[in-house]
Amino acid sequence: MAFAPRRPRAIVRAMAWRPRARVTGWCLALLLAGAGGAHPLLAHHSFAMFDTTSQVTLSGTVTSFEWTNPHAYIELDVAAERGAVTHWSVELGSTSILMQGGWKFNDLKRGDKVTLVLNPLRNGDPGGLLVYVTLPDGRELGNGPGRGRGTR
Amino acid sequence: MKVPTVAVAVSLAMLLSAPVQAQAPPDLSGVWAPYRGGRGDDPSLAPPPASPIVLKAPYAERYEERRAAEREAVERGEPLATDAVFCMPYGMPRMMSVALYPMEIIQRPQQITIVTEAFSEVRRVYMHEPQLPVGEVPPGYYGHSVGRWDSETLVIDTIAIKESVPGYQGMPHSDRMRITERIRLITPDVLHDEITIEDPVTLERPVTYTHAYRRMPGYKMVEFVCENNREYVDENGVVRMRLREN
Repeated sequence: MAFAPRRPRAIVRAMAWRPRARVTGWCLALLLAGAGGAHPLLAHHSFAMFDTTSQVTLSGTVTSFEWTNPHAYIELDVAAERGAVTHWSVELGSTSILMQGGWKFNDLKRGDKVTLVLNPLRNGDPGGLLVYVTLPDGRELGNGPGRGRGTR
Repeated sequence: MKVPTVAVAVSLAMLLSAPVQAQAPPDLSGVWAPYRGGRGDDPSLAPPPASPIVLKAPYAERYEERRAAEREAVERGEPLATDAVFCMPYGMPRMMSVALYPMEIIQRPQQITIVTEAFSEVRRVYMHEPQLPVGEVPPGYYGHSVGRWDSETLVIDTIAIKESVPGYQGMPHSDRMRITERIRLITPDVLHDEITIEDPVTLERPVTYTHAYRRMPGYKMVEFVCENNREYVDENGVVRMRLREN
């Protein structure tokens, strides 16, 4: 399945996620309150450029996995139905936060085929904030503790 | 039986000297992570509520305007730029609790060093030294900190924080801001840092709030170098994310 923002499958997935999203949102609100406004996962910017009420499912090929700070990134080529390729930049938390959520620096590499769910950029550009990714070996990893399926 | 006078004197001397021996301060060394009293945590160990920020006019007015503009921008999905977008470190006192990031305390009798994981910030607390006069220390992100033990509580006095370093909850402060911390173990594995901010220029009265931390045995601190910052500020002052094409 290729890039499909706001298509039926993405909507179904988003609906299936609603109960968890509610719990996560509540937890995030608590953490936000405790952090004096600092986001619990992202050390250096607001969450607001991403639409956290919307989820998009993408399947594609990893062109790079950047284990960096202040954020890690998954760069992903997503083939559309007629052969065109859209490139997506997917933002993750920092390396520390990802490690606390069970990630390792070499969990992804160029050429890996993955399916991931993200909160898209509000301005419609092909980028977003990771919710969770299914790795080639079937494991699911979220975006740090308490965010996304597969977190701990 | 007759007890020798010398033995009685020695015993008495030992008994009297025992209570006056200086008690070693608690060892705070190790890695600590924020403890917020959320799911799985003991709420009784969570930090108590903070006191309100009461600013002097006209600081109060400008502060409220800024907060309102920030809220509105977030609702629009166009967050306003802050120093953080440019990967600037937090400085004192905000560095003392950043999201879920741990901090490491390295305790020596003459100096306590605190290293935080987010942005690898470092502050040094010089123990049992007098504080320098305000105005004799070049203002910076971490200022000048001296510490002492008040029984089992570590008391840290910090001055000389640059006015441009964003304050607690974004509140404005002057170069005369003074930060007093009282750090103590609530349990062997839970630490509280009660922070009081005084500022004769901007604050009507001191602000006090507390951060709580839990011990992270065996945790090894992760490096944090801001090498891949893709956020930028557009011509309207809105934060955007730079995308790659491949």
